[in-house]
Amino acid sequence: MYIFVCEDSIDGIFTGIYDAWASRYGHVNIVLTTHTPDNYSLFEEYITVQTDYEKSAKVAHTLQERMGEETYQEICQAALALEADSHRQPIDKAEAIYKTVVLALSLTDAGRVMNYLGEPCVNRTFQLSRSTFNEAHHLLGFLRFQELENGILFAQIHPKNDVLPFLGEHFSDRLPEENFMIYDATRNLAVLHPKGKGFFITDTGELNQEMLQRLSPQELAYRRLWRTFFESIAIESRKNPKLQNQNLPKRFQRDIVEFTELPNN
Amino acid sequence: MNTIQMDMDLFEKLTILSDAAKYDVACTSSGVDRKGNGRGMGNSVAPGVCHTFSADGRCISLLKILFTNECIFNCAYCLNSRDSDVRRASFTPEEICTITLEFYRRNYIEGLFLSSGILGSPNYTMDLIYQTLLKLRTVHHFNGYIHVKAIPGADPALVERTGFLADRMSINLELPTADSLQKLAPCKSRSTILKPMRQIQNRISDNKQELTVYRKAPRFVPAGQSTQMIIGATPENDFQVMSVAEGLYQKFGLKRVFYSAFVNVNGNSMLPALPGGPPLLREHRLYQADWLLRYYHFKVAELLSEDRPDFNIFLDPKCDWALRHLDYFPVEINRATYQTLLRVPGIGYKSAERIVKARRKNSLTFDDLKKIGVVLKRALYFITCSGKMMYRTKLDEDYICKNLMQDKTQIPRDIREGGYQQISFFDKELQTDFQLLT
Ligand code: SF4
Repeated sequence: MYIFVCEDSIDGIFTGIYDAWASRYGHVNIVLTTHTPDNYSLFEEYITVQTDYEKSAKVAHTLQERMGEETYQEICQAALALEADSHRQPIDKAEAIYKTVVLALSLTDAGRVMNYLGEPCVNRTFQLSRSTFNEAHHLLGFLRFQELENGILFAQIHPKNDVLPFLGEHFSDRLPEENFMIYDATRNLAVLHPKGKGFFITDTGELNQEMLQRLSPQELAYRRLWRTFFESIAIESRKNPKLQNQNLPKRFQRDIVEFTELPNN
Repeated sequence: MNTIQMDMDLFEKLTILSDAAKYDVACTSSGVDRKGNGRGMGNSVAPGVCHTFSADGRCISLLKILFTNECIFNCAYCLNSRDSDVRRASFTPEEICTITLEFYRRNYIEGLFLSSGILGSPNYTMDLIYQTLLKLRTVHHFNGYIHVKAIPGADPALVERTGFLADRMSINLELPTADSLQKLAPCKSRSTILKPMRQIQNRISDNKQELTVYRKAPRFVPAGQSTQMIIGATPENDFQVMSVAEGLYQKFGLKRVFYSAFVNVNGNSMLPALPGGPPLLREHRLYQADWLLRYYHFKVAELLSEDRPDFNIFLDPKCDWALRHLDYFPVEINRATYQTLLRVPGIGYKSAERIVKARRKNSLTFDDLKKIGVVLKRALYFITCSGKMMYRTKLDEDYICKNLMQDKTQIPRDIREGGYQQISFFDKELQTDFQLLT
């Protein structure tokens, strides 16, 4: 077996697919993974994949062309999903995507590959993709902006999967005339959107907490107004905190203003 | 950025006018996908987005408010009726614009749901609503989702103008029969409700024509119209309620019918007291049946009849139907048509689609079904995979029924654990009652 170890990102995995193909070892003899092996086996050959944006772009282009936008999006969503820490899953994320792509390109209509849910690799890709999609969709609603003193709208999230590309696209379309920033505190990455322009994703390191404390003068008033609404809209005789927590999992609540303490000013 | 006088006034108004709006049901899963237009703010996402969940566990996606609760009508079930002793308030159009925009840009909400009591006259009220929407759309370039109520008795021209600014319009049917309406809402009548409903329906279909001719024609109520009925305030049975809903879908082309479990807010003596709380389980069954009408090609006459006018409280309507039609089963997963699969308990319409696609490559096994998302503990009595059942089970009504009943999710957890008297009552009586039923 040849084991291609790639970086856990879309570009990493796509480069892995490119190298695996180019190696001509034959797909059945190749496994892709994003886990660095903890004990090397004598019978495997390990190949470290150097992420290469040109190779990745070539793979992306081919997939888009052959599969169509919708299926290509599913593949990307799967690549952005959180990979389990240890080898708890029967198939590694990168391997599932690789073999799904191999199957797709063997079909006359590559766009239909996600119908083959009986295939374990397609099934795993489908589950991963759904997990990212669901979390991204939740965050379209659960994300909260606060207005900083300098007029920037700032949001902080702690997602499991790498959902920033989706959020960036959605909110740039929705709020074209705002300067905003969405900060993924799990990964120290952020979407930056300057007013009237496209968005980009960047590495931020730790953020300057002091800047984030300086809110615009109206911010707390609107937050209070929102809480007023949030509380009065609930129907007393249907009160049901269990259902509330079931629908809005606790892990999201920490970043949602109506569930956190109001700072005293 | 907008600045606003944030005196106590606005807090108080918002408290009063959101409190007064909370019994209306709305949902943004509208099927409208609208991209932003690069200016102002706002777009619309077809499957809808929940922004938060209130203490009653219901989704909040829209800023749901009344324009005013200074109402001249006297509907018996309503807290804002002119005879109630409640605090009164009205917004100005500008106030609504500011709150909507400021909430929207902070991503608190997906849009606005504006309803209203009747201030002065139906026309005066409808015009205020129109002015508010006009300001939002044209002055502030707000391009997000707006659901607005048409006021019964308002000038059709005003209703039409408003409809060109909204995504969805609704007029509440309020009660399932004209009799009940006359008794409890003497200022309203079936005709002041159905006439504008028809008008909106016709305008929507004309608009579809216009759009085929001229793609840039202004859009009229693109997310369609919806309505709402109050359940449990009046004596209608489920068969009557669902027949009305079916009629509204077929004859008025409604997008959604909402059912709202009656909450006795004002202790009016014409209304039931409901010591067990609002009839939530009944409401839940009606919504399940509504799904069966809209997504599963069921007819009301298949689910209920004059002799069996109410849903089984213990089983969801689809299981209940399946048990009474065992001759239809078992269904072979690898051959059955999509329509047939839709009728199997435990197979949702999405799973049915996936089955039809996935079986093209190779025959599906029970394990595959599980991965696809089929709820096997429900489906297993009704299906075969390549001729085999999952376990050896009898296709026998009593036997299957008993097993299905053991599945606690037949009564959703939130209702089971909601702490309502009516449910703890059911739970205790569940077994004995059920024996009586079968
Ligand atoms: S019209 Fe009837 S339901 Fe509407 S606010 Fe007035 S009293 Fe209430």
